[in-house]
Amino acid sequence: PVCPHSRVEALMLEMQDPASGVKSQTQRLVITTIPHALSGEPRLPPASRPLWRRHHAQAFGTVMVAFGYIYPLQDHKRLILKPDASLYRFQTPYFWPAQQWPVEDTDYAIYLAKRNIRKKGVLELHEQEQYNNLHKWLNHKWDFIVMQAKEQYRAGKERKKPDRVVFDCQERAYWVVHRPPPATVSAMEQGMLRLVDPNEEEVNRCIIFTQQCIMRPRVKSSVSIGALVKYTTTYKQHDPFLAPCLPSSPWLTDDATYWTLNMPNVEVPTKMRVERWTFSFGELLSDPRGRDDFRLFLKKEFSGENLAFWESCEDLKWGTAATMNEKAQHIYKTFLARGAPRWINIDGKTMEVTVKGLKHPHRYVLDAAQTHIFMLMKKVRRVSCVRPCRSVAVPASRRRPSLSPIVLRQQEEEQRAKMAASGPVDITQLCRFTAPVPHLAVYSGFCQSQATASPGVVTLPNSAACPSPISVAIDSTPASERRCDSHGGPGSNFPSIVGSREATSPAKESQTPTSRPRATLSLSRFLRRGCAASSVFASLSPKCGVAAGSGRVQPLGMEPQTLSQPRRSANFFQIKVDIPPECRIYPIDSEDEQESPGSAKGAVKEIICPWESITKQDGAG
Amino acid sequence: MNRWRQSVGEIQARQRQVTECERAQVALSKVTACFQQMASSLGSDSDGSSLREELAETRALAHKICTGLHRRLLALLAEGEQGQEREHVERMWVFLLTGLETFQKDLKKVGSLQEFFPLTQRKDRDTLVKTGTSGGALEIAARVATIQTPWLAVEDDQIPDMKTQISKMDSLMQEMLQRVNVPLWSVEAKQEAWVEDIKDEPDQDETLEEMMQVELVSQEGTTSNCCHHPRCKLGCILCLLN
Repeated sequence: PVCPHSRVEALMLEMQDPASGVKSQTQRLVITTIPHALSGEPRLPPASRPLWRRHHAQAFGTVMVAFGYIYPLQDHKRLILKPDASLYRFQTPYFWPAQQWPVEDTDYAIYLAKRNIRKKGVLELHEQEQYNNLHKWLNHKWDFIVMQAKEQYRAGKERKKPDRVVFDCQERAYWVVHRPPPATVSAMEQGMLRLVDPNEEEVNRCIIFTQQCIMRPRVKSSVSIGALVKYTTTYKQHDPFLAPCLPSSPWLTDDATYWTLNMPNVEVPTKMRVERWTFSFGELLSDPRGRDDFRLFLKKEFSGENLAFWESCEDLKWGTAATMNEKAQHIYKTFLARGAPRWINIDGKTMEVTVKGLKHPHRYVLDAAQTHIFMLMKKVRRVSCVRPCRSVAVPASRRRPSLSPIVLRQQEEEQRAKMAASGPVDITQLCRFTAPVPHLAVYSGFCQSQATASPGVVTLPNSAACPSPISVAIDSTPASERRCDSHGGPGSNFPSIVGSREATSPAKESQTPTSRPRATLSLSRFLRRGCAASSVFASLSPKCGVAAGSGRVQPLGMEPQTLSQPRRSANFFQIKVDIPPECRIYPIDSEDEQESPGSAKGAVKEIICPWESITKQDGAG
Repeated sequence: MNRWRQSVGEIQARQRQVTECERAQVALSKVTACFQQMASSLGSDSDGSSLREELAETRALAHKICTGLHRRLLALLAEGEQGQEREHVERMWVFLLTGLETFQKDLKKVGSLQEFFPLTQRKDRDTLVKTGTSGGALEIAARVATIQTPWLAVEDDQIPDMKTQISKMDSLMQEMLQRVNVPLWSVEAKQEAWVEDIKDEPDQDETLEEMMQVELVSQEGTTSNCCHHPRCKLGCILCLLN
């Protein structure tokens, strides 16, 4: 059958049977008599279903009334089957509810207009409201609606009186079902579209998903509003719509220099952009230029895999659903499995949860691990910006046409391919003497509150065992506070660009560093101690050399101040490492990094993802 | 002089076309309204082969009107100068589009109902729903016969098959939406929201509630129920008295 509620329809047809169907009476009206009225008294169950009991019959009868297969002649707004002498009638099939015949607002408008044409003031309040609404948003169809209403009214009048009454009743009943008066329970809200088997696979997944949604943590609105306020305070100077930007706002002056200077892969980032990186770690990561620098830094510091893992997680989250399984497997093999080439160091609990989740990988399965790594990476102290920033006042003659987004995208892809081709840094080969110990972080941070850093010894690539520790200041404070810190650690070893920034940006004040105790050893001090790592660190920020000599750097703003650039040799990033003495990592020469990992990989076993093995064992089932 | 006369002639011709289209609009409304009235009897015990024949003829007529109107409106729009007249033509265009949508819906319904209630065999009549109507084909058919369109005589007489008609209308609507750049919402209707009574129906204009007043003769007591209408004061009083 055509209609989805085939059981009900079949029953409707059965009820018509002159022999075994429902007995009908005649309805006597003042103006006429109309046959085929049914009473609600419990004589409804047709002969074909002898097992039905009375209350079942009544319940089912109510359902039929609620859906509009039968309509009441009295009290027409209450769609229930009353077990008394009240009368009902079968609805004509034209007005039967069916999913493939959607109920249109146009028709409702025509119906209401028709009723209004008959006699003004007949519409009920909610109908009047709806009518006005419809007039508003169906306005372009209104000519048709009114004309059609008139014509339908006239056509209806052509019919014989009893038929006319019946048709009007049918139509009215139809609209009571599909546009119920307010504060009534409507079967249409649930019944027709819920033809779902709750045991079906898809529904199950829906249910699980919804349950997980409910379990997600929630935040009080006061808290989130506070965060919003903080955010706007921090960022409002950086929004070119809210604060003037240099060289000029492209939206106002049609000069696209601002965009050119801030392209994702620009060589020299602008000062404002670098300042944004200090706001939060997330800011640094989300800016591809900042991420590049960070990646470079991490690579030399041996935690490139963290960033790589973070990036892979992002890729998984935002990638296409089709590639998700593949990506999840790849990530597991590369980062998480024991003995993986780029093993990341997350705590056991998280690892357990993640691996379990990877059996049924979904978009957010690596969230816990990613957050962990994010926090880890965040504990890298950013002290001062040494990066030379491009002067914003670029003369018009040097303006280049901006690259099209397609080209930019291609460049990105190329870069990505290049990085992938260069192969992962195989940490198992580099740490020849020690395998990564699961329960210890390579870089373990400690909280702000701890006053002393535990002495640890770490050796860095290309260095002899250096007695002095390098400590990473744990800094998880938001940008506004950190800015104070960025004025330099103990001592003024960091002639910072902040000095020049102060001259121009009104938001900063020169403050003495806060009294946060910190056993930070600045890199420059470390360098001065004569470790042979200076060459390494110099290579960490290739722009340093450029900074010293380049005349391109000019501060934001009007005054062309000369900066004390040449003394600035420290890195943008300062790391503090704290490792108990029993865990030392003796990396091999960093030159090995450049070699293709394939040559050293001979002994690496193939990594099998746990769910793969499980399915193999499963066999039949 | 010649040029002036020509343009007057053009204007008059155009005006004739516009009037033609307006009349076709009225005819379209009429035909679709009648079609709906007839369709409401499908599947009920007043269904029959005569009803279905009438339905087929009616939809054929509708089809002719639709296609003819479409062609002429398209031509008028193509000539399109801006101004009041163009607005008028655009209004008619949107009217046609809406009419097509509504009619096509009805067509689909009728198509599936006719499948669901095939009247090929005698016993099929047993399952027809007893709705209380006694047949409506004749009166409505008479009304349909009064519909006139100017171009009726010219076109051919074939009644298209139901499915073909539906798909033709589909493509017609698609074409209308894509080919001509008339945004639907830019059309302002001429009709007001709350339309008064139709002037040509002065008398006996009862509401349904009035018509549904139940006879209050009650010997057996089965028919003494009031219609519960709030305005039915008379009935209530009589009930009380009963």
